Amino acid sequence: MMKLNPSATLTEEFAERIRSENRSNRMMKLAPVLVLVAMLIVFLVTCGPSFLGPQNLVNILNQMALPLVVALGLTFVIMLGSIDLSIDGSVGMAGSLFACFVLNTEFSYNFGFFSVVIAVGVSMLCGLVIGLCHVYLKIPSFMASFAFMYICKGIGMVSYQGHPPTIKDPLITALPTTTFLFIPFITWVAIIMFVLCFFIQEYTAFGRHIYAVGTNESIPRSVGVSVEKVKIGVFTLAGFLFGVAGVIGAIRLGQGQIAIGDDKMFPAQAAVVVGGTSLAGGKGGVVNTIVGVLIMTVLDNGLLTLHVDPNIRTGVQGIIILVAVILTSARGAKVISK
Amino acid sequence: MKKRKVIATILAASMLVGLLAACGGGGGTTESPAGGESTPPAEETTGGEEPSGDTTDWANFTIDPAQIPQEKLDTTLHLAVSVRGLENPYIATINDGMHLFSEYLDSIGQKYEMQVLDSQGDSAKEVDNMRQFAAMANGNAIAYADPNEDTIAYSLAEAMAESGGYLGTAWNKPADVGPADLTPNWVIHTSPDNVVNGYNIAKALFDSMGGSGQIFVVEGLLGNTANNDRVAGLEQALAEYPDIEVVAKDTGNWNTDEALTLVETWLTQFPDVGGIWCANDNMVTGAMQALDAAGLLGQVGVCGVDANTDVVEAIANGNATATVSSNGYLQGGYTLAICYAAWTGLLDVEALPAEYREFATPTVLIDSPEAAQEWQSYVPDFDFSRPFGCRVAE
Repeated sequence: MMKLNPSATLTEEFAERIRSENRSNRMMKLAPVLVLVAMLIVFLVTCGPSFLGPQNLVNILNQMALPLVVALGLTFVIMLGSIDLSIDGSVGMAGSLFACFVLNTEFSYNFGFFSVVIAVGVSMLCGLVIGLCHVYLKIPSFMASFAFMYICKGIGMVSYQGHPPTIKDPLITALPTTTFLFIPFITWVAIIMFVLCFFIQEYTAFGRHIYAVGTNESIPRSVGVSVEKVKIGVFTLAGFLFGVAGVIGAIRLGQGQIAIGDDKMFPAQAAVVVGGTSLAGGKGGVVNTIVGVLIMTVLDNGLLTLHVDPNIRTGVQGIIILVAVILTSARGAKVISK
Repeated sequence: MKKRKVIATILAASMLVGLLAACGGGGGTTESPAGGESTPPAEETTGGEEPSGDTTDWANFTIDPAQIPQEKLDTTLHLAVSVRGLENPYIATINDGMHLFSEYLDSIGQKYEMQVLDSQGDSAKEVDNMRQFAAMANGNAIAYADPNEDTIAYSLAEAMAESGGYLGTAWNKPADVGPADLTPNWVIHTSPDNVVNGYNIAKALFDSMGGSGQIFVVEGLLGNTANNDRVAGLEQALAEYPDIEVVAKDTGNWNTDEALTLVETWLTQFPDVGGIWCANDNMVTGAMQALDAAGLLGQVGVCGVDANTDVVEAIANGNATATVSSNGYLQGGYTLAICYAAWTGLLDVEALPAEYREFATPTVLIDSPEAAQEWQSYVPDFDFSRPFGCRVAE
């Protein structure tokens, strides 16, 4: 009599499950790209070929620069399973400081390029302190960063005291219209930031540690990785990127004002999630984020081009974002923000 | 342990809800704007007061320092302006107005302390701020308030009245309530006429376009009183200029960044646009950046409201068409001067006729490079001893 080999059946079952999970993972990875392509096709049909004409493509590239840099910073924080609510403040603060320290209409300082260093440096410092508060004072990241949203707004408000400086440096005022290979200057800055973040994520130990900490802190800790240093590093990197985003915003507006950062946090978070990065941490990455930002920017631009009634546009936008999240995000039981 | 987690979760959830509510609250806030060239009162006086039969020359009412009791001069008076936040250039001028008035108090020997009550766009916070301020001053308080929303105007006055201080409001209040409902503590309510503002800048824009062509309309926060009134003014002007066509209309939410995105996107579709009407100057800044990027700055007319420094400079340089100043210095300074007269007892609020309790304040239309240059050299200089000097006669 032939005897069944239960272990073989179990192995087959396990292998089948792995194959099925891999298939579903591949689908999940492709989903954001498919959503983006579907959206482009819909807008191309409804708005006409000018939607993807060179001029509107430049508009989309211009409009995605700031959100992309913000979302890149947030991606690493979300990969940890944490959250950073300081964005609106730190982006506005960096933009205000930058405009105050270059040649401008309100103040006599002119530090030239060094003003970028000041603006980004202060934002980075704020990120560092958020990280320190989170790690050593055991304050939840959303609370520490929420407090810093106000602190940064305060610094921004003090910097120009109700009189927003208009940038007068001819080199900087020329930047919004400067292009290289048909791509606007500020988009190049965002692309460089993306390459930098991709390099950190894929080719450095720090990048791998971010995934590990986001998945399960005890594993990297058991092999001697300083989880604390990784977390502080991530918040500092995010502060750096928010600072760069603020400078991009000020260059684009030609003026420094804390409103540069207004309403940047939730769209960035939506872009990261729509791109497929998990809020629970450990999954996703900056490639997902660039797709997510493109989805959000194309959606915004497409609805404007279609002249959807402003009274219903916001609601329509919300519904489309919800559908995109349902189609693309990696959902699981673990959705708590650490 | 489990209990602690539950409590922590509830706390976190309530904080998040609060946060979301605060963010959402922005949707109902009102923008404090500026006005038109010669502003008739925005609305007829309300409150059911009959015009008084007295013959007092209220227009020339004068604060005579010699009549102020020494006891009052030696009492520390608390001054405040209650606003949405000083990051807005227009609001900063209201604070400057308070400082100008404080110089007047120095000149007559009045003891005082002053502060800014910053609501950060939160209506509940604005009322709380006012209540705390009035209670701390124990009746020795005067304030200018720009209610964040129409609906809180009465609550603000009530918060002040509870402690016996005196308040003047500006811009926002419901039509069916007014200073007469809280005499004497709610002294006055003033507002430049936003319909006239919207109309005047539109007319200047259309005239600069030769009376025909395509325009973009960048509205402020939808549903906001100031925005609605300015758009109503625009529509009046559009009715008079049938050859002007609105090809794109949307909201920039008072925001420079959003206005830039709107105009940038529309310019791709309508490169032949002749003018851009914006509901405030922050959005004019964004529109001008989009025009600059498209190489159209100076060729397409742009107009707004608020007389922001950069927009006035653009008008002086020929890169923008028109803006309007509601003169925040005047609004802040004179409102406090009238409230001061009430606090000292020199002004009998109960005897004040209705048309001196609710009235329009003057505005300046800046619609030419010459007017812009004149405004750039403007140095506010007011005679606060005649506090009704700020009233536009009907």
